[in-house]
Amino acid sequence: MTRTHRALASLARLAIVASLFLLWEALSRAGAVNPRLLPPASDVFVTLFDLLQRPRIQSDIVVTLAEVALAFAIAVPVGVALGVIVVESRFLGEVLRPLLFFLFSIPKSIFLPLFILVFGISFSQKVAYGFFSAVLTMVISTAAAVESIRPDHVTVARSFGATRAQILRRVYLPSMLPILIEALRIAMIFTFTGVVLAEMYASRQGIGYQISNWGETYQLRALLAGVLLVSAMAIAFNESIRRVEHYFGHWRT
Amino acid sequence: MSKAAGSIAVRNVVQVYGAGADAVLAVDDVSFAVAPGAFTVLVGPSGCGKSSLLLMMAGLRGARSGTIDINERPMTGPDPDRVGVVFQEASLFPWLTAQANVQFPLELRGVPRAECRARAMQALHLVGLEGFTARYPHELSGGMKQRVSIARGLVQDPPVLLMDEPFAALDEQTRMTMGDELLRIWSEAKKTVVFVTHSLTEAVYLADEVIVMSARPGRIVDRIAVTLPRPRTYDMMGGEVFGHLRDRIWRQIRKAE
Repeated sequence: MTRTHRALASLARLAIVASLFLLWEALSRAGAVNPRLLPPASDVFVTLFDLLQRPRIQSDIVVTLAEVALAFAIAVPVGVALGVIVVESRFLGEVLRPLLFFLFSIPKSIFLPLFILVFGISFSQKVAYGFFSAVLTMVISTAAAVESIRPDHVTVARSFGATRAQILRRVYLPSMLPILIEALRIAMIFTFTGVVLAEMYASRQGIGYQISNWGETYQLRALLAGVLLVSAMAIAFNESIRRVEHYFGHWRT
Repeated sequence: MSKAAGSIAVRNVVQVYGAGADAVLAVDDVSFAVAPGAFTVLVGPSGCGKSSLLLMMAGLRGARSGTIDINERPMTGPDPDRVGVVFQEASLFPWLTAQANVQFPLELRGVPRAECRARAMQALHLVGLEGFTARYPHELSGGMKQRVSIARGLVQDPPVLLMDEPFAALDEQTRMTMGDELLRIWSEAKKTVVFVTHSLTEAVYLADEVIVMSARPGRIVDRIAVTLPRPRTYDMMGGEVFGHLRDRIWRQIRKAE
């Protein structure tokens, strides 16, 4: 695609988003939809800025971010380690692989009540559930990343006298990076989803709790502002990783 | 360089894969010597152990018994000072540019950055790719990729270059061109080359000596000195001597199967 092509595409994309918000605004202002169910977009944005000023909401955002960050920080190394073991140890791989796929196919949300029983309604419960939501995809992707390493590349490095550490750093790592970074992106989506879900299900703090609360109390402006806020957070993270992904994965064709 | 630089001596090499009842004799008592600067080609049917033998000469695989000396010292493991290896297609690192691929062996040994660059450029110049240093492998044609591989094998200036079916994946035309290119590089760089191939035409065209191996277990069934003058030209292929040599190899391979 040429540069003008790409510029045109992003312009068109921007136009779609803008017209959606305009349509929302118009429908609500014109009374075509019940403004109590769908308050005008501009009102929602005003509410969002107002909410962001409030210390309580700020602390909710901090709590959610802390839970997500901690769950992610545990899920990634554990997932990577398990993924490497699954591939490198033939026996363990044979034992664990089907189990991992079984577990992966089950909806994680059915375990949420169990997490409450074990951890109580707490910060650690949100972290544990966020971890649980993300770790399996990390394991499976890491296994795929290790398997993507081509044995002939390792042979080439060995023929030039590469040490074990050099092979790990200069062959294994760059071979795995594109898949690993993509895995990080997906794992973050899962962690975020898990944490917010756990907060909505049972909690006294966090942005998920607030969203659920605003919904139950019919505060549509705040609810929609919360939706926009969480969406923006998720999109911002996803896009920043996608940039890195392209940087490390451009050679894959 | 000493007088021994580039000499190869393979003595009574045996290779067995697997163990017990499943053990397969892959290479059976192979011995030969290559003089410094000579171009030797190993041919034989699939599974004759010619690639296996090459990997042992590169120190990438141990022999069950027997010894391999290069520069009159045994190969006990990979030694880039003595041996450069050029592998089949797609052995370049796809995440590195042509230049970074060629520099790779130097960087492993901590050669200073400026020197890495200079030597990589020199090697790429030798293979005629000075205009493509910043390209990634997927942006290069099959023939160009193999030129990069050859540059990578030569960048540390080892006296011996081992080549494992480097042109097997190329189309016939490119393969012919690459053969001529390789002969030009060989005569400029003055290396001892051991080249593994399936192609009898390629074998005769390139070699000072063709070593013919039998199907499993791999044994040497014939050694044929190619007396055609150098530089080799396309016209020689239609000549009587060329045809006669190729026929002789073909008969030896058939007989051995």
